[in-house]
Amino acid sequence: MTRIEILQQLLDQGFHRIGQIEILRAESLASPPPCAYLLCHEDDIEDVQNASGQPSGFSESSNPFDARDISTYADDGEYRFTKGQINLKRRWVMHLEDITALHEAIENFYPSNFSLWLAQQRGTLEVQTLRDKLNRQTGMYRFARSISNEGAQRLVQRVCGPAHQCAKKILWQIDADTPLEDSEASRFNGIGSGLAEPHAIPLLCREACNHFVAECRKESKKEFEAKAQA
Amino acid sequence: MPITAKPQAALFIAGHGSTENPDSSVPYFDHADEIRKRGLFAEVHCIFWKEEPSFREAWYLTDCEEVYVVPDFISEGYFTQDVIPRELELTGPTTTVRGKTIHYCAPVGVHPSMTQLLLRRAKEVAPDVDPTQTTLIIVGHGTNLNPNSTKAIKDQCNLLRLQTEIPYAAVLDTYMEEQPFIADWHTLAETPNVVVVPFFISDGLHSYQDIPVLLGFESEVGAAASQREVFRHNPHELHGRKLYYSSAIGTERLIADVILDQIHDFDQLHSNTTHDTH
Ligand code: SF4
Repeated sequence: MTRIEILQQLLDQGFHRIGQIEILRAESLASPPPCAYLLCHEDDIEDVQNASGQPSGFSESSNPFDARDISTYADDGEYRFTKGQINLKRRWVMHLEDITALHEAIENFYPSNFSLWLAQQRGTLEVQTLRDKLNRQTGMYRFARSISNEGAQRLVQRVCGPAHQCAKKILWQIDADTPLEDSEASRFNGIGSGLAEPHAIPLLCREACNHFVAECRKESKKEFEAKAQA
Repeated sequence: MPITAKPQAALFIAGHGSTENPDSSVPYFDHADEIRKRGLFAEVHCIFWKEEPSFREAWYLTDCEEVYVVPDFISEGYFTQDVIPRELELTGPTTTVRGKTIHYCAPVGVHPSMTQLLLRRAKEVAPDVDPTQTTLIIVGHGTNLNPNSTKAIKDQCNLLRLQTEIPYAAVLDTYMEEQPFIADWHTLAETPNVVVVPFFISDGLHSYQDIPVLLGFESEVGAAASQREVFRHNPHELHGRKLYYSSAIGTERLIADVILDQIHDFDQLHSNTTHDTH
């Protein structure tokens, strides 16, 4: 089955939410606009439904690649360092002509996430441990690899999870033998809406993001300085 | 050079990206959009070292069995020769890995067709100057760590000197961190007009802040705050010259053509060299 066919099957099974994005079928609206699917922020569903996909004051787009522009900054102007952050802008609606456009849009709102989920379903997803990620860093980020396991465990609890704005399900361990300690962040299932699969698919973190790597670098510097002072 | 459509293949544009500066990845997406519009590939994706999706996640993005990878980098160097091949598990120009055939092309910055883009950019930023009264300065980072980055600029400057389309009085290669220094532009250039084009893929601290400070039209403090504004105040009257400053050459949408040129050249050069890994 192609990925588009799998997405179609998933939609037929009731999939309608990814991250903070709701997928609406145009035909479900009172006066359907000329498109197949609409996307909007999960908190704007009612407005979009009530206005049959054209709520006033919302920005409108039909290009799935506009997903990137919509998702770069939060409403307060903050750069969203990972698209797993739960501060997606509101008050926009996307009208998509077909399922291919829908696939492109969700892959741009949540880069590669549908692909990763698909690979997980197919049994081909390889997860990268934190140590593997850190050991491959270059330049000033090389220093990140010196972080202790304890420091890394603490960072997960301080940086990841919805309490810290990231709604991805962490798939990685510290290394092959060291799983993450139990915490809200490590337990999080990647579905911020609280819906069950297949109504939503999880956001997946198969390798620590570069923001996490940057935090590891800061933390390992602190550890180094603390040791030097002791 | 036009390339034949490859409706079965995917194109991956490999970029550096940044965790802090979203402007840094805009050019890659622009180049991808431009190529997508032309309908030459089944899929066009951007993959990054410092953003999502990562190089290592590239495998999962496509079901195409043939993939062209073009580094959207300004020169050969550590990233194009070590990091990208390592991350994508490439062992040669064409590698079969995980059931996919990957063609690894040369980076955009080393292609001779960059010359046309540099000319175009220089013309855009200073459309009315008399080229015979103008020095065109290409500025790069320059560092002893990567001699290739200066080589790419020197090569381009040689090509710019050879062209006759726009007869600039002089074409100079300069650097932020090695000689000849961009900070000395007013002693290096002898003409009343000077056009400066940064040889970088994306705009960031170097083009927003560092180079404007070295050129002398921004002060050290708070210069970065102006960001793109920095390109909107041409010409700057400095040292009795008119100085025209452009944004990074990589922000030119037609780098898309250079990406396609690299694919064309790759196909010409390597028709039957496949390395199997796993
Ligand atoms: S490393 Fe943590 S913060 Fe970064 S994407 Fe993964 S879960 Fe989110």
